[in-house]
Amino acid sequence: MNPLLLIMLIPAAATVALFFIDSDAKKAIRAVSTVATGLVLLISIFMFIGFADADSTWTATSKVEGGTVDHAYKYGFEADWVKEMGLAFRLGVDGMGLAMVLLTALIIFAGVMVSYTVQKRVKEYYICLLALVTGVFGVFVSLDLFFYYFFYELAVIPMYLLIGIWGSTTKTVDQNYATMKLVLLLSAGAVVALVGLIAVWAEVGTFNMVLIEQHEFGKSFQMIWFPVIFLGFAALVPMWPLHSWSPAGHAAAPAAVSMLHAGVLMKLGAFGILRIACTYFPLAAVEYLPYLAILCCFNIVYGGLVAISQRDMKLIIGYSSSSHMGYVLLGIASMTLIGINGAVFLMFAHGVMTALTFALIGWFYDQTHTRMLDDLGGLMKVMPFAGTCFIIASMASAGLPGFANFASELMVIIGAWQNGADTSTPGWMIIPAILAIWGLVITGVYLLRAVKDAWFGEMPERWAKLKDQRSFGERAPFVLLTAVLLLFGFWPQPMIDVVEQGVKPLHARINDAKNQEKKAVELVVPETHPARDARAAGEER
Amino acid sequence: MLPLAIQLPEGLTPNLNLLLPEFIVAGTALGAILPELVLPAGKRAAATAWTCFVGLVVAFVVILAQGPTDQLAIQVLDGDTVISGLRMDAFSVFCRALVTGGGALLVLISMGFTRRMDRGHGEYYAILLFSLLGVMFVSGVSDLLSLFVCLELVTIMAYVLAAFRRNDLRSTEAGLKYLVLGAVSTAFLLLGIGLMYGWTGSLSLEVIGERVWAASAAGETIPGIMLLGTALVFTGLFFKVGGVPFHVWIPDVYEGAPTPVTAFLVTASKAAGVILLLRMAQALFLPAGPEYLEVTNPLAQQWVLILGVVAVVTLLFGVLSAIPQRGIKRMIAYSSIGHAGYLLMGVAAIAADGGKDANQGQYGTEALLYYLLAYFVTSVVAFGVIMVVGAASRRVAGGQHSDKAYDGLWSRSPFLAVAMCLSLLSLAGVPPMSGFFAKFMILRATVDKGLYVLAFIGAGAVVVSLYFYLLWIKSMYFKPAPEGAPKGDDFQIPATTKVVLYGGMVAMVLMGVWMTPFFDWAHEAASALATLAN
Repeated sequence: MNPLLLIMLIPAAATVALFFIDSDAKKAIRAVSTVATGLVLLISIFMFIGFADADSTWTATSKVEGGTVDHAYKYGFEADWVKEMGLAFRLGVDGMGLAMVLLTALIIFAGVMVSYTVQKRVKEYYICLLALVTGVFGVFVSLDLFFYYFFYELAVIPMYLLIGIWGSTTKTVDQNYATMKLVLLLSAGAVVALVGLIAVWAEVGTFNMVLIEQHEFGKSFQMIWFPVIFLGFAALVPMWPLHSWSPAGHAAAPAAVSMLHAGVLMKLGAFGILRIACTYFPLAAVEYLPYLAILCCFNIVYGGLVAISQRDMKLIIGYSSSSHMGYVLLGIASMTLIGINGAVFLMFAHGVMTALTFALIGWFYDQTHTRMLDDLGGLMKVMPFAGTCFIIASMASAGLPGFANFASELMVIIGAWQNGADTSTPGWMIIPAILAIWGLVITGVYLLRAVKDAWFGEMPERWAKLKDQRSFGERAPFVLLTAVLLLFGFWPQPMIDVVEQGVKPLHARINDAKNQEKKAVELVVPETHPARDARAAGEER
Repeated sequence: MLPLAIQLPEGLTPNLNLLLPEFIVAGTALGAILPELVLPAGKRAAATAWTCFVGLVVAFVVILAQGPTDQLAIQVLDGDTVISGLRMDAFSVFCRALVTGGGALLVLISMGFTRRMDRGHGEYYAILLFSLLGVMFVSGVSDLLSLFVCLELVTIMAYVLAAFRRNDLRSTEAGLKYLVLGAVSTAFLLLGIGLMYGWTGSLSLEVIGERVWAASAAGETIPGIMLLGTALVFTGLFFKVGGVPFHVWIPDVYEGAPTPVTAFLVTASKAAGVILLLRMAQALFLPAGPEYLEVTNPLAQQWVLILGVVAVVTLLFGVLSAIPQRGIKRMIAYSSIGHAGYLLMGVAAIAADGGKDANQGQYGTEALLYYLLAYFVTSVVAFGVIMVVGAASRRVAGGQHSDKAYDGLWSRSPFLAVAMCLSLLSLAGVPPMSGFFAKFMILRATVDKGLYVLAFIGAGAVVVSLYFYLLWIKSMYFKPAPEGAPKGDDFQIPATTKVVLYGGMVAMVLMGVWMTPFFDWAHEAASALATLAN
């Protein structure tokens, strides 16, 4: 059976199966969810390993200067759906999609195991969690615009229930407010993008994403609809200034939902930007992406500075997530191969890292019922395992060499630097790269402080009886996520190879668009251009 | 041929066999009064209801078995031109099947209501069936006079139904308000028909459409009297579907009428308005023949604007006013105004669909038909739950529909909560529910015609409506149950309602996920209307 179909069907079938299990049979419910997500993880790993050798099912061929570029989608599956309307249930992944599928599978498996501590309305909890993850997988593997949107929206609604019922209201955030804000802003972004997607259909006449990719859109069409679709997805990333739903949502959500939310849902937005906006509209992307480079500086620096001023652990990590997504956007905005590769790799690395962090915060919050740094302290004495994992995750987040985050952030910064140093771009494009480097220092400040205040120092008496993760089952999800971070930190090549398979054609299209524009500019610019000549002379030297 | 020796006028072909389903429904309606006469009091309610259910199901089967035909029932032709008669095309089959099938569901959920009445079972079901009969006739109208008569059959029956709990002040008020405002709209409709006849000299939709297009082709200006005439006719139809500013009756009538009657008003009665809007739009705005494909119709262009503005105002008014409502029936009433806005968006897309590369309103029509189908099922489920919860709160807590009736419903009756939650999500247009695909099709039709402003506002309104539907989901799932509220077996869910809720939930998900058969059916029905235009 087709592996992509399986990773869609297994969680969906498990969701339905849970409806028929008695709500008191908590063990059975957990077992079904664990087995289902475990199977999905295994399938994803096998797909990842066999990706290079797998046959490509569909190939989107696009013309670039001096030849064509092939974009292969593998593990394809197709079933007719609404024939009259041209809908088909069409699945397939390129390297970009597969990296995200692997990420999702890792996080949901860890998330299901971390959620063993949930005691309230267990059945509904897992139903929502599995429905959510079905939607997420659907977005990453759909090759039909209708189903792409269908699953995108499907992923949003379970979030409402998950945060509203199992979330927590604290001094810093009200869960009802946070969950409503999250759902409304995400839906607003989604419906704006939807109008854009339908406009794409009206222009091309098909929902088949492979065919749409081959279509050459007119420049004016691209210039109108790129911002619409881009902004729709950017709300989910979340790009500054559309980010305000995100930290509040993190803070109110239960642990596994924060993990999925920060680990995967935010990546849906960046994935949509790459897969739809930039792939279909390269000419417009070249025009608009420099502005994105400005906005993502706000993400990086502003998000980081706000994180410094927070005392709630989840809000710190929440703002840190939007700060890190700024690096992803910066990688996309750099329009270089290494930058976009780095962005996708960072999506993966950040997903794993932030899921680990949220799982750990959830672990002690379940016992302490506070996340405020002022109330905590010295937890290392009672939970050394959790503390060690947290420090590892923080180091990864701050970009310490040896972790996947370091490798990917380095690629993003190199990409941004290349772009800034390129003679064809305005000189100020170097500034985001410099700010991004300083952003790492900011990350270090708030994370090291969080580590110091929560895990070291004086321990208040009342925390003396807190429990560490002791059994294998309790430790497994944390070990899994930490291991993945280290594995791809020391040996990033397999991931980069897979990612590059999807990024290369996209980059070729954008590069082609860039060259076209450069040519158009050169036609206008007179033969002698003092400033440019001086710069060229300087380069020769 | 009738076995009677009547001299039929020339050009009239009765084709009465085509009206078999209508005869069945009418016969059942008349027969529904019989159990009242012969059975003891305790058995009347069930016997009457089951008679009507069977009658409607048989009619449903007969409609599908007969299938579409080019013949008209009671057909009056002048040469090839249809002067009068009831069309029995695929569109008509779709609508009549929708009404009889949906009507059977309405009868099922009404049983819980009529069981508690001590008298009047016969009247209730007979009137309900006559009203459904009116919607069946409405599906096939081909001239303005039968449009008027059929619509009145629906409406007058609905006045009676709205006031059916005659000892209840609010029900009486609802009936009276509906009657007075309905009478005004009827007057508009009649005057509009008169004006349109004045310019075209015919009541036949086909002739009127031909006249409009011929005038456009010849470059004549279409006189103001014709625009006024169409405006007045559309006013009458806006009143039926609840388009702003002709919506004022909706909240009070929906709230005051007995709940199963509200369900009827939301579904079948509204469907009558939409069906007529489609027939009118097809006749007036879509090219009356292939020779007009290059012609611009000024009337259609004006109406795209008018319909667009009315749709936007209706949509925004509906969804924004639904936010502060604390009674569920009032919330549904305002949200149904919002849904009318989406339906009118679809009509605007049809009006914009003349011209060479167009597809004769195909996208808009199939979107509206799918919307009606999805909305019918969803509303029946929602009202099924509302009836059960309302009756239980009255019985156990002694209170009217207070704003607490749904608090913590999750812990009191998980089944009712899930049914309500799914139908609210479907009304909001969230995948994988049927309402999502319906809204998607409406947006597709508008974007296809380049009505981007409409599309963006329609998409934005989805978010607003999500907000107030989620507020209800919030009170069902997040809030604690109030003390003394009915729970568990207190709800006494009638078996028939249970069947409808289970079936409805499956249908809602099915129509949202495996939409192929439903879409194909709506597509075929829409094609019938589109080919009429050529």
